[in-house]
Amino acid sequence: MKQDTIGYDSLEARPLPKWLTDQRDGLNYYQPEMPKMMEDHSLNIAVVSTGAIIIITLLLFTAYFIWKKRKKIK
Amino acid sequence: MKIRGFRIVWFAAILSMACTTKVSEWFLLNAVPDKYILVYYHNGQHTDKVKWQNNELDNEAKVANVLFQPIQKEDVKEPYYALYYNNRLQAEYSRYDSLRTLFSSPLRREIADELMDGKLCVMLFLKTGIPEKDERRMEIIQHTISSSPFRDVITLKELDRNNWEEKHFVSMLLQVESDLKEIQEPMLFGIFGQFRALEPLLANGISPENINLMIDFLTADCSCLIKDNLPGMSILSETSWENPEPAMVNKILDDNPALLHH
Repeated sequence: MKQDTIGYDSLEARPLPKWLTDQRDGLNYYQPEMPKMMEDHSLNIAVVSTGAIIIITLLLFTAYFIWKKRKKIK
Repeated sequence: MKIRGFRIVWFAAILSMACTTKVSEWFLLNAVPDKYILVYYHNGQHTDKVKWQNNELDNEAKVANVLFQPIQKEDVKEPYYALYYNNRLQAEYSRYDSLRTLFSSPLRREIADELMDGKLCVMLFLKTGIPEKDERRMEIIQHTISSSPFRDVITLKELDRNNWEEKHFVSMLLQVESDLKEIQEPMLFGIFGQFRALEPLLANGISPENINLMIDFLTADCSCLIKDNLPGMSILSETSWENPEPAMVNKILDDNPALLHH
């Protein structure tokens, strides 16, 4: 036992065997890793990047059509 | 590539089997018992009788989990034997005759047979010889085992701590923990694997809850945590542990998957 060197005053206070306390407390088996809640920014990033792409595309097309119209007038 | 894939599947299969083997079965198949060392201290003067005795001990030791080693020391006045387990002195014997039943005894043979027959464990009730103390605990043990779904694979044995024929066995059991010799209370040892004795439940610790925890411990999946830190102590025994019967507990668990646990 790994607990038998611990001093005790009476038989009632004598520690239980380690195999027993580990079995009782579920420590004889590797505990599965608890998933941690992380802050999720993916939605914000998706909205901003989609918006940015739309705006850039609009700007490019606008500039292109203006340039094309001017060329036609000339 | 195909061979590599096959190897990976094979390794995964072995790994998954290792993790679902129950504690009692894993110990029986894999955990080789720790060796005791029996030393004969002498000052160099050997009679023919002593040579013959040492030869006998050497032969007997080959089939038990013990090494016999004569050691010559100048300061030894009278030759004597000393038994060690994990470098800890267990007992000293002044005469060869007192080593009778050291390596084996009737009860140890019975217990080894039960383990080789595929039983989950042998619960050994070490009695104090005081009926008022022993009978109450015995009732609790019998009632708890008979209520357990694993009752058919658990053998209950009794042993009086003053039993002369089993004195070496009693002595080894009382060495499982450093303070057991001083405690005059009934004790319940779980014996499993290749004669490994768990640290006992004693006095009020012999309760239905704790007995069921002992059963749970032995019927659980064997985890690396248990393999890395083997509980209990090996008992000296003259047993060949080759080809044991399949573990009976597996049939109970296969028929009742609800009993599976960690």
